[in-house]
Amino acid sequence: MNTMTILVADDDPVIRKLFEKRISDGGYEVTVARDGVDAARLLDAMAFDVVITDLVMPGEIGGIELLKIAKERSTDIEVIVITAHSSVDTAVDAMKKGAVDYLEKPINFDELFLRLEKISEVKALMKNAGDLREAMNVTESSAAQTIQNLEIINSNLSMQLEKLEEILSNSREDEFSRIEQALQFLESR
Amino acid sequence: MLKISSEEIKLITKYIYEISGIYLDESKKYLLETRLNTIAEEQGCLSYQDFFKKAKADGTKVIERKIIDAISTNETLFFRDTGPFQLLQHKIFPELIDARTSKNSPLKTSLKIWSAASSTGQELYSVAIVLQELLGDLSKYNVKLLGTDISDAAVAQASSGKYNKFEIERGLARDKLTKYFTMSGQTWKVNDQIRSMANFRKINLMLPFTGLGKFDIVLCRNVAIYFTLEDRKKLFNKIADVLEPDGYLIIGSTESLTGICPRFIPKRHLRSIFYQLK
Repeated sequence: MNTMTILVADDDPVIRKLFEKRISDGGYEVTVARDGVDAARLLDAMAFDVVITDLVMPGEIGGIELLKIAKERSTDIEVIVITAHSSVDTAVDAMKKGAVDYLEKPINFDELFLRLEKISEVKALMKNAGDLREAMNVTESSAAQTIQNLEIINSNLSMQLEKLEEILSNSREDEFSRIEQALQFLESR
Repeated sequence: MLKISSEEIKLITKYIYEISGIYLDESKKYLLETRLNTIAEEQGCLSYQDFFKKAKADGTKVIERKIIDAISTNETLFFRDTGPFQLLQHKIFPELIDARTSKNSPLKTSLKIWSAASSTGQELYSVAIVLQELLGDLSKYNVKLLGTDISDAAVAQASSGKYNKFEIERGLARDKLTKYFTMSGQTWKVNDQIRSMANFRKINLMLPFTGLGKFDIVLCRNVAIYFTLEDRKKLFNKIADVLEPDGYLIIGSTESLTGICPRFIPKRHLRSIFYQLK
């Protein structure tokens, strides 16, 4: 069930390699980026479910900027930020800006996998809710057309019945001409 | 989870009907258990019999309000079914504004709209957005939008005009989102200009409508489906009483007034239906 695609952005080649191996061993599809700019380029080119990014990276795009870019691409992309032990405040700030979670260095991969499983579960639930809604919408719009057609037909028929009643109970006319008028009215419908 | 016995289900469904008009039969046992369990446990109840007694004896009505919040369905979204909003934009608003604008009168054109089961407010704010887009400068108009719901929690959220990421994404196009909402942290808040057009308050649709005045448009969508046939008849009859003679009623897209209220006639516009008084 690990069908999620993951993008990892970290400027440290050793950590990058480690992430790549462990995450792909965990059964996820993983792509790595050497910095924020590289990651932003990859986000343009491919679809990802999760972005794992170091908060501090060289170049124009740091972790917080990458978080913003990812969320602009799609609010469905979940972002996990990686932070040094001493900078938990920055991580909390990242969560206020939309990150789903943060991990402290050195990375505990068991912990990471637990987070990924949770994200995967939530995504599956969201998809399920979306499917149900879609099914409901299709049923609803089809039922709506049927009901609305019947509503109009029924309303027209009631008005015609009222009209017929009016013609047939018109005491100013004799019975024969009442029937004649009623038949005329029915033919003219 | 606390289980509801077959004797208890009768008591509880009757009680819910009395406080809210929502009619549930015994087949809804599971729904009741899942929705009421938290409140029952919170109250330290060991059975639903016990819970029922506590709720009835509670003079502050706090438990009653919690039950209503839990049992009422707040499924809603911005621009739920596009039909009614196109209907408002292309037919009802232009017609009404035409009818209500008097060339010789110094008074502002006034419009009164009621969303009878407004839930968390998305429907009424969608109406406000359509009006804003259509009329532009609203200072020339006297627009009053009223949203009512039986759930205190729903009314409170509607009044706050705040929505989370999941609520905001449903039905709202990106351009409208950025134009009419402001993000702060993880929540989106409707802008003051839209917010100030609407008022929300708690109303039980089973009770007489007092002090509401008359409306040009009433939206009463997807709420009567939870009522008995008799209560639906009473409801739409009361709505007919508070509708202007040339006013408009919009009901849910799968609802019907056949056999419910002969005072209304259905009219079709494109793929939608609206109702007017005979």
